[in-house]
Amino acid sequence: MTTLDEDLRRAAAADPGKEALVAGERRMTYAELDAAASDLAARLHALGVERGDRVAILLPNGAEAAIAIYGTLRAGAAFVPLNPTIKADKLAYVLRDCEATAVVTDDTLAPLAQEAREQAPSVRHTFRAEEAAGARGTRSCPAASVSWPGGARSRPAPTTAPISVDLAAIVYTSGSTGRPKGVTLTHANMVFAAGSIVEYLGMRAHDRVLCVIPLSFDYGLYQLLMCVRTGATLILERGFAFPGRVLELLAREEITGLPGVPTIFQVLTAAGAGAVAHDLPELRFLTNTAAALAPATIDALRAAFPQARLYSMYGLTECKRVSWLPPDQLDARPDSVGIPIPGTEVWIEDDERRRLPPGEVGELMVRGAHVMQGYWKDPAATAERLRPGRWPWERVLATGDLFRRDNEGFLYFVGRRDDILKSRGEKVAPREVEAVLHQAEGVHMAAVVGTPDRLLGQAVVAYVVLHEGAELTSAQLRRHCANHLEDYMVPARIELRDELPTTPNGKVDRSRLTEEAAQATAVTRN
Amino acid sequence: MGDTEVGTGLRAELRAYIAEAFLYLHPDLELADDDEFLALGVIDSMGFVELVEEVQTRYGIAVDALEITEENFGSIDALVAFVERRR
Repeated sequence: MTTLDEDLRRAAAADPGKEALVAGERRMTYAELDAAASDLAARLHALGVERGDRVAILLPNGAEAAIAIYGTLRAGAAFVPLNPTIKADKLAYVLRDCEATAVVTDDTLAPLAQEAREQAPSVRHTFRAEEAAGARGTRSCPAASVSWPGGARSRPAPTTAPISVDLAAIVYTSGSTGRPKGVTLTHANMVFAAGSIVEYLGMRAHDRVLCVIPLSFDYGLYQLLMCVRTGATLILERGFAFPGRVLELLAREEITGLPGVPTIFQVLTAAGAGAVAHDLPELRFLTNTAAALAPATIDALRAAFPQARLYSMYGLTECKRVSWLPPDQLDARPDSVGIPIPGTEVWIEDDERRRLPPGEVGELMVRGAHVMQGYWKDPAATAERLRPGRWPWERVLATGDLFRRDNEGFLYFVGRRDDILKSRGEKVAPREVEAVLHQAEGVHMAAVVGTPDRLLGQAVVAYVVLHEGAELTSAQLRRHCANHLEDYMVPARIELRDELPTTPNGKVDRSRLTEEAAQATAVTRN
Repeated sequence: MGDTEVGTGLRAELRAYIAEAFLYLHPDLELADDDEFLALGVIDSMGFVELVEEVQTRYGIAVDALEITEENFGSIDALVAFVERRR
C-alpha cells in the first residue's frame, strides 16, 4: 500500500464493522469513516477542489478532523493541519503561504477562519462542520453553499485518487527566523514513516490507542495514520485537561497504547496513577517524544504502569521520527534516544561533513524514505536542511541538532544548533514571539529566551524595554501575546527592563538573559 | 457562620487567582462561578496543570491524579467545593 488513502480503503475492506474512532460520545466504524471520507471528497470535487490543492484543517481533536484529513486525501488534495489555538494573523499567513483552496473548521472557529480568509484570497470555501458530522450534515459559510458530510453521493472518479509521489500534507513548524515553515510530505513519506513506527511498536489491529495530543502536531496526527494503517482503534480526546478523565478512559476503553510528552506523563504519575494501574491489564505500550523524560518520571511511570513497555523516541517534523530506544535498553541507557527507526540510516558529522566516531559531538544526519521533500516555496531554508546525498537524486536531512553516539551506536541528544525552544513539547521560535512583542505599541526592544521548567520542559520568558513614556504593563503584554500567538508560545513570564544586556558587538546578550531567567526561576521556586 | 466566612474568603481568593492567572487573556469575559473553564476556553489543557499545582501549594492539598476532573477543577464552584472538602 503506497498511499494514506489506500490504507483507509484497505482497513474498511478488511473489517468494515471494526471500530475506527471513538471521539467523545461518537463511535465510528471503518466503513463509516471510509464513507464519510468519500462524501467529503465528492463535495470537495463538486466545489472545484482539484488534485494537488491544499485544504487547511482548523479543528480540535474529534471525528470531524479525522474525516477532514481522509476526505481531503481521497480528493487527491493535501491537508494542512492547524493548531486550533492559532490566531487570525498567523492563520492568514499560513493560508496565503500554502495557497489553501478551502478551510474545514467548526462553528467555534469559523469566525476566525472568516477573518483570516479576508487576507487569504486563495481560499474559496470555508466549511463549518457541526458536532454530529455525518449524522446531521453541516452548514457552510455563505461563500460555499454545500453540506458536508451528508447523505449518499457519487464517489469521486478513480482518476483523482492520489499516488505515492503526490503531496499528502504540509505541516507547519516554527522556524528560527520566526516565520513558520511548511514541511512538505508525500504519501510515500508518510506511509513509510507510519509503517516504520508501527513495526517497532509492534502495533496490531487489536490495538486501542488513546490520543490526547492535537492532530495538528505530527505526533498526534501519526496516531491516526498508524491506527488506520493497522486497522486499529483510535480514541481521540480534545486534550489533556483532566488526567482523572484520562485514567478513567484508559480503563473503560481498554487502551493498549498511550503516546505522551513529558508534561503529560509527569502529571499522570503524580500520586494516584498507580492506584488504577492494576485495572489496566491491556495497556502494553507508552511512548514519549518531544523532550526527554526526567529519570524520576521514568521511575514513576514504570512503577505506575509496570505492565507497559516505555519507548523513548526522538524526531522532528522534517522526517517525522528519527530514532527509538528499545524498551529493554532503558535501564542500561536511560538518557539515550536509541537507534534509527526501521528502514533508515543516521550518522553524526562535523562542520566539514566528515562522519564522526562514537563519543564525538556533531550534527545528526538522517537518510531514508521519511525525509521531507523540502519547505513549501522556500528553497533557501530547504537547502539548509536538505543536503546532497549518497546518490544524485537523493537528499539527506541535516537535523540541526547536536548528537553523539556510544560504542554500540545508541544516540544521545546534546543540544540544538539554533535557538528554538521546546515548551510543552512544542517548538517555539524566540524570534516569532519577539516579532509579536514588537508589534505592541510602546515596545522598544524585546528578547525571548527559554528557562528550564519542571512541567513545561522549557518556559518561555520575555524581557521587554519600553519606549520612553510608554505605559504598558507585563499583563497587557501577555494579553497582546495571547491574542497573536498559539497558547504554547505565550510567554510564561514577561519582565520589563530599563535596558537589555548586550554583547561586545552590540547585540542583545541572550546567554546572559538565559542565565538570569534560570536564576529568577530558582529564586521563585525556593 | 465560620464556614461561610472561610468559604467567602476562599471563593474570593480563588476568583482572584483565576483572574490573575487566566482571565487577563479574556478581558471582555464575565466569568460566573459555575461557568466551565474548559468550555469557555478560559483555561486550556496545560493551564489545568498550573491550576492544580497552585491548589496543591497554596492549600497544602495532595491532589491525586484521579481527582483532577471536571467535577473538581472545572469551575470556580467546583474548585471551592473541592478545596473546602480537602483542606
